[in-house]
Amino acid sequence: MRIPLGWLRDFVDVDLDARALADALAMRGFETASVDPLPASPQPPWAKPAADAVIDLEITANRPDCLSILGIARETATMRSLALRLLGTAPGLERKRLTAGESDAVSVTIEAPDLCPRYAAVVAEVTIGPSPAWLAARLEAAGVRSINNIVDITNYVLMEIGQPTHAFDLERLDGRALRIRRARAGETITTLDGMARTLDPEILVIADAERAQAVAGVMGGGHSEVASGTTRVVFESAYFEPTGVRRTSKRLGLMTEASARFERGGDVNATIVALERIAALLESIGAGRVVGPLVDRCPVPRSVVRIRLRRQRLHDLLGVDVEDEEVVRIFEGLGFATSVEWLLEVAPEQAGWDVTIPSFRVDVKREADLVEEIGRHYGYDRLPAVFPAPQAPPAPSDPRVARDEHVRRILLAAGLNEAVTYTFVERGGQEAFGLGDAAEVVGIANPLSGKFDVVRRSLLPGLVEAVAHNRRHERRDIRLFEIGARFSASQGENHAVAIAWTGAGADPHWSRSGRDVDFFDVKGLVEQVAGALGLSVTCEPTKTAPLAAGRAATIVVDGAQVGAIGQIDPAIAAARDLPSGDAIYVAELDLDALWAARLVRERTAPGTTRVASLPRYPSVVRDLSLIVDERLPASTVRGTILAHAPEGLVDVEFFDRYQGEGIPDAHVSLSLRLTFRSPERTLTDADVQQGVDAVLGRLGEVHGAVQR
Amino acid sequence: MVDAAHLRAQFLADLDGVASDRDLQVVRDRYLARKGGLVARLLKEIAGTPAADRPRLGQQANALKLDIEANIAARRERLAADRPVAGAIDVTLPGRRPALGHRHPLTIVRAQMEAIFTRLGFAVVEGPEAEDEFHCFDALNMPASHPARDMQDTLYLAGSMRGEAWTATGPRSADEQARDPRTLLRTHTSSMQVRYMQAHEPPIRIVVPGTVYRRDNPDLTHSPMFHQMEGLLVGERISLADLKGVLLTFAREMFAPSSRLRFRPSFFPYTEPSAEVDISCWACEGAGCAQCKRTGWLEILGCGMVHPAVFEAVGYDAERYTGFAWGMGIERIAILKYGVEDIRLFFDNDLRFLEQFPI
Repeated sequence: MRIPLGWLRDFVDVDLDARALADALAMRGFETASVDPLPASPQPPWAKPAADAVIDLEITANRPDCLSILGIARETATMRSLALRLLGTAPGLERKRLTAGESDAVSVTIEAPDLCPRYAAVVAEVTIGPSPAWLAARLEAAGVRSINNIVDITNYVLMEIGQPTHAFDLERLDGRALRIRRARAGETITTLDGMARTLDPEILVIADAERAQAVAGVMGGGHSEVASGTTRVVFESAYFEPTGVRRTSKRLGLMTEASARFERGGDVNATIVALERIAALLESIGAGRVVGPLVDRCPVPRSVVRIRLRRQRLHDLLGVDVEDEEVVRIFEGLGFATSVEWLLEVAPEQAGWDVTIPSFRVDVKREADLVEEIGRHYGYDRLPAVFPAPQAPPAPSDPRVARDEHVRRILLAAGLNEAVTYTFVERGGQEAFGLGDAAEVVGIANPLSGKFDVVRRSLLPGLVEAVAHNRRHERRDIRLFEIGARFSASQGENHAVAIAWTGAGADPHWSRSGRDVDFFDVKGLVEQVAGALGLSVTCEPTKTAPLAAGRAATIVVDGAQVGAIGQIDPAIAAARDLPSGDAIYVAELDLDALWAARLVRERTAPGTTRVASLPRYPSVVRDLSLIVDERLPASTVRGTILAHAPEGLVDVEFFDRYQGEGIPDAHVSLSLRLTFRSPERTLTDADVQQGVDAVLGRLGEVHGAVQR
Repeated sequence: MVDAAHLRAQFLADLDGVASDRDLQVVRDRYLARKGGLVARLLKEIAGTPAADRPRLGQQANALKLDIEANIAARRERLAADRPVAGAIDVTLPGRRPALGHRHPLTIVRAQMEAIFTRLGFAVVEGPEAEDEFHCFDALNMPASHPARDMQDTLYLAGSMRGEAWTATGPRSADEQARDPRTLLRTHTSSMQVRYMQAHEPPIRIVVPGTVYRRDNPDLTHSPMFHQMEGLLVGERISLADLKGVLLTFAREMFAPSSRLRFRPSFFPYTEPSAEVDISCWACEGAGCAQCKRTGWLEILGCGMVHPAVFEAVGYDAERYTGFAWGMGIERIAILKYGVEDIRLFFDNDLRFLEQFPI
């Protein structure tokens, strides 16, 4: 809202310069967009000479009353304890009293009282011409183009008191009628902007006997537009329901000065004031005069709203005692009437003020709103800052926060950098990752663009895209992880951690030759993460996208699949312009599933960590090399050993896997380190040999393994 | 006859040319050898001088001898110190650093904020990003006709999705889903205020960090996805003065001990009274600089006293309880703290950007 300072001075003797006034208004809730000086321009006869400027204020959606000079004048007067001049009380603010009655020049009928609770109209004889220079200059300062004296008068009143009005050329209204009705389906109108618009019954129109002449509360129609030959006009001033105007404005994609005010809430009483102001302006600038009575259709009378403000409540919400005189001063300055008559009859905690809400303050609906008015003009900066004493012990935090932080620390300590990628991804991009199942993908109903048309089922597409981004910027060694939400139709929202690693397996160093990342680097991270949550994982080979067959596994915890790990299919990498020679290893783990598994473990094995006493006898280590079928998984070999572990066997580790010279085709040499220890005595060679023989015997029997 | 001074100069020149223990031995022998050494020769020559000169010359010669010995010893030590050790390592080569990744700046900021509020007695809770209209709007005093619910601001999900995400307050019930089938990506973390209040009785002190979404095209200052931290404190006789106290405590820890806050009245549907909060610019201490666009203030959050309609929506006694809430953009704080010029940098995951943040 552009407020020319000179215009504001009609209502209040502003005692600050433009900049200082803008800063002060900002502290009352009116943010400043800009303050600009105004060049010298023609002034109205009553204006005292003074430096002029225009303050552009951002008005919050709850304050339609301040989309006017008067509204800001009221706030300024209250803020500075100055007198506010109302319409009809000072030169330049004339208001001509009109008598209500029935007009024989125009008939007015409200046919949709739900959308138009009040409609007033008055007929005037006019001579179309240019506006006086001062009026045109003021409109221009407020950002409105001068058109002709009649249109300018309606715009002047709009800016001055915030009430939109409209002038119809009476001779162009068929049947001299104004019917406020819903549009017919398919009815059309050409609005003042020259656009032909098709209407529907959700849209309220002002029609003559035949057709729509204006879109109510939004824009007039071209047919009845005031033009140079116009001699008789009918001025409309109404109150339209905010939701109806908002719906219409949205449906037509048409936002105007009028619709912006009506959709936030008009002043049901300003309808009459605006017409009386127009009547006075017509005469004062010699543009014409009102003929006939004021037609006021008010089928839905509004009751006066009164709200109690309790002194105790005011204190409790602001945290400070505001003096009674100050409370009354603020209310009266803002146009609220207060009464304290009932004060004596009520309990002290009920004592306070009965406040009558002015019709222009549509935002004030309950006691808290009154507290805000007092707080605003008392000044938030005058309130003390105190720290509230705890009223109960602090509640526990969401365990997921600590869980995620634990996982994050492990991955950071492994040299991975944390990424944050978009939750929404491109449908096609996700499909390439084997996530295209239409029954599972959750789309976005109103996406910004095709790039962001589904919510991600997996963190991997985004993370691989981040790898590609870095690869395009001269990075070869990239290690990233992300913790975040993913979505699917059957599983809903779920938290996961994903890892992507390409390039060197370890930071390059002059002391060693580099090795690129492989499956087991990433598997180690997965084991570490699960281990931190008290869980152990197993890997089972898989052949599912987006992973390369032969280098892919599902991750299983306690029999449930919790994720996948492996190399990204080189075709997917190539599609993102990643060099074909660079393997990207990834893993994704369902953190919620891991957490659930952990909770199950805690329930079934409570007490979590128990310390074992330290071994008292030495352990004996034996290394074995076995030749087995190359398809035999190491975990199966280990499982066989542990299933029938000989007495004293406490650990089995793999330390080598070899294929090549000396090993038969399709076979592999696995080297195992067996550790034996007894809690009761020092084991002898014979004891250990017996154990080793048992292991070898068992492996030979089950897997045909032979010692190398 | 050579004099002592001449001999010393000659010795120092010879010493200068010494590069090894062997060289040093040669020089030593040349001057100090008992037989034929230049010093011995000088002494012999002194014996043939007049008796009156002899004590003085003898003294000079002895001083020269001591001086030469000291010089040779010093040189020997230096040669020993310079001698290379067999198999010595080059200690100037770079060390082998254990790998350490960089936290994302948004996580750094979020963790700092969580730490401060945890110390102030607030629990950290999380909520679902896929929300329903009741929790995101209706319960927050934004009825169906509210402009904030317009399609251009909110991203809605198409089709159905099981709403049984594990949340601090339990899954979304079938009833809730039947009543309110539209799912959206939450536009603010305030939706979790509602969930938490539905599940807990006052007093309440929580902060809710999380991801939020708006239907904005990405540019320098906008992102369709960003992060917020919501705060909520509910109890008996909680006032705007308490709100000022909590936020001031936070701001002084998060930014600078001398920080001041400015509360400007504003409007949010779910708070009344409402305010926007500016912090005094820490770069210029309020004097005005490029960071604060010469105003001395930086806008950091919106806040207010919880609207009684919100308490009513969750079944609280709005007469008995009052409280306040605030919402802070984590990107906004990170942008101010680190001088990030383009919000999109947070989501590009460019290592050249990420690696600039402290480990």
